[in-house]
Amino acid sequence: MGDDRRKKTFVISRFDPDRDDAPRAQSYEIAVEPDWKVLDALNYIKDEVDGTLSHRWSCRMAVCGSCGMMVDGEPRLTCKEAISDYGDTVEIAPLANFPIVRDLVIDSDGFMEKLKSVKPWIIRAKQLAAEEGPLRQSPAELEEFKQFSMCINCMLCYSACPVVANEPEFIGPAAIALGHRYSLDSRDEGAAERNEIFRGPGTVFSCSFANECSEVCPKHVDPAAAVNQAKLNAVVDWALRLILPRRGGE
Amino acid sequence: MARNAHPRAMAPAKPGSTRTAPPRLPDRFPLGGRYLAYTLFDWTGILYLLLGLLVLCAVWSLGSGESVWNALLERHRSAPYIGFHAIALVGVVFVGIRFFGFFPKAQPPRIGPLKPPPGPVILAALYALWIGVTVVLTIVLAGGARG
Repeated sequence: MGDDRRKKTFVISRFDPDRDDAPRAQSYEIAVEPDWKVLDALNYIKDEVDGTLSHRWSCRMAVCGSCGMMVDGEPRLTCKEAISDYGDTVEIAPLANFPIVRDLVIDSDGFMEKLKSVKPWIIRAKQLAAEEGPLRQSPAELEEFKQFSMCINCMLCYSACPVVANEPEFIGPAAIALGHRYSLDSRDEGAAERNEIFRGPGTVFSCSFANECSEVCPKHVDPAAAVNQAKLNAVVDWALRLILPRRGGE
Repeated sequence: MARNAHPRAMAPAKPGSTRTAPPRLPDRFPLGGRYLAYTLFDWTGILYLLLGLLVLCAVWSLGSGESVWNALLERHRSAPYIGFHAIALVGVVFVGIRFFGFFPKAQPPRIGPLKPPPGPVILAALYALWIGVTVVLTIVLAGGARG
């Protein structure tokens, strides 16, 4: 078999917090296999060319959400992007809208805080006793929120969102989609609590429906749909509480 | 290299022990790729502001006597006004199409026992309503013009 390898130049954003004031670009020219993903090229550079390059990755199959980066200016999972889809020069940078820890590694602590703020767990008014058995759910009930539960927390949606870039308080698409997913869950009784959160500042009403989050989502979660459904739910809940104060916002 | 985003964008409440570089905006924001449609969508707000001012101006003219009203109608026949209204029409159609495109997926799976109709049905209903209102308004305004 012939050598199918082809030379490509990778322009990679580098940042060393001990030495650099700001990120700088560094080029690497390597021969790539035609079936490589962008992540394979990064791993090759790390292993064979420059061991100081830092990037995150884990599962290599678009499940763990670790390897999100800007590839030619678009937020992408590098393990999912075929290198053959790109030109002779590929620009790779850390996810936009995030503080940069080192090279291609971003600080995800802010994201974790935002996720927690929407109470992403099943809330029950009263815990079931063990002898009552598990909470049951029909396939139809599952279908109502399944799409929003497919999120892998890759943060690509935050990287694409213009509101995240300009409004630090905005809790963002994935967090809202996660909160909405639990509010739609038939086993959950915490929708009213989350609607209260969603009516607060920096949540659903900060979204200006750019739809970029849904465009870049690698798992087709459609966070823009979740955010805008959550807007409607929060308003309907508020109106019902106004008309029927004893209803408790169910 | 892209411009910087808000310095606190996606920053944790308490800064970590490692110094970080400030967050960058996506390279293509605000006028590249798909961001262009979003930015244009935002900019149509200027058209609505100007249209609102024109309506206020028309209401004021109406209450200021026939000569002022006739002068306003005369101004509306000038090329700059017609040009502005042509641009406004393009802007309104663009916003309508974008809004209608997003509207179906913003519907909740259900409100109480009621489920929304399928997306294509909502989309067809929105366009039918839009065309219907436009036809009715055209008939009314054309009748007014003849009278």
